[in-house]
Amino acid sequence: MLMCKDLAAIASDYIDGELPVLQKMSVRMHLMMCRHCRTFIGNLRASSNLLSAHSSGKADEEFLRRIDERVAEALLSVRKNKDSDSE
Amino acid sequence: MTDSSRDNEAQLIQGMKAGDNESFQEAVRAYTPGMLAVARFYLDHSSAEEVVQDCWVKVIDAIRNFEGRSGLKTWLHRIVANRCKNRLRSANREVPTDFSESLEPELANRFNAKGRWDLPPKLQFHDSADTLMENGALSDCLDKHLSALPETQRSALMLYEAHQHKSDDVCNILDVSASNLRVLLHRARQKIFLMVETFQETGEC
Repeated sequence: MLMCKDLAAIASDYIDGELPVLQKMSVRMHLMMCRHCRTFIGNLRASSNLLSAHSSGKADEEFLRRIDERVAEALLSVRKNKDSDSE
Repeated sequence: MTDSSRDNEAQLIQGMKAGDNESFQEAVRAYTPGMLAVARFYLDHSSAEEVVQDCWVKVIDAIRNFEGRSGLKTWLHRIVANRCKNRLRSANREVPTDFSESLEPELANRFNAKGRWDLPPKLQFHDSADTLMENGALSDCLDKHLSALPETQRSALMLYEAHQHKSDDVCNILDVSASNLRVLLHRARQKIFLMVETFQETGEC
């Protein structure tokens, strides 16, 4: 039988729908009977949603501007090469 | 991807192929965070920034051969991953891997010998993610904990959750097996779970 600790170990797979059918069924059975695991799965799912909502993807603006500068420079030299080719 | 975001992406790619500076600026803002997340899987912070900068310069030429078989994001992430791998190869360094247990020790200790909860989760995180994120202190705390995660876990988590890559893509980009990715994701999520729990109970990070 699936114990709480076993369920906790595969909880992410359950949330992401990555469990094989039989294991998924036994997780569902367990969740019907166990309030603590229901809370745990709910909270783990909330943590995962929190991350998608959190824009930790932000890069700092100064770094982005440095990239802009290098890209602009490189674009300019590409253009110059083209011009000298066509001359 | 919705139709309109696909159109936007196609337009952006056209602009980049034409060498339009503004298109590049837009792309740099949209894709740099994800590229950094990829690079941080392999390299320390400053080397990662260096690689990402170099990649953008390389993209100016490479974009002309971009055929759109994958999305722009996935294509860029692969370029970054390849550059990082080359760099590691030349430095003769291995990517550290810690893919052992799937339970965080701090969580594993909360079960009794029979595998039942000894210290069950007390509170429900009932607020929606958006409401929780409006809490500036929680957001700061999340940043702090994310930066404390091992690089491998953080990159996997960011690519999967924040940059919404599919599992296959993440495995491809980071060169990890599907089962390793599952462990990385689960370990990282448990840490975030433990962090939110402490924060809700004590109001402290």
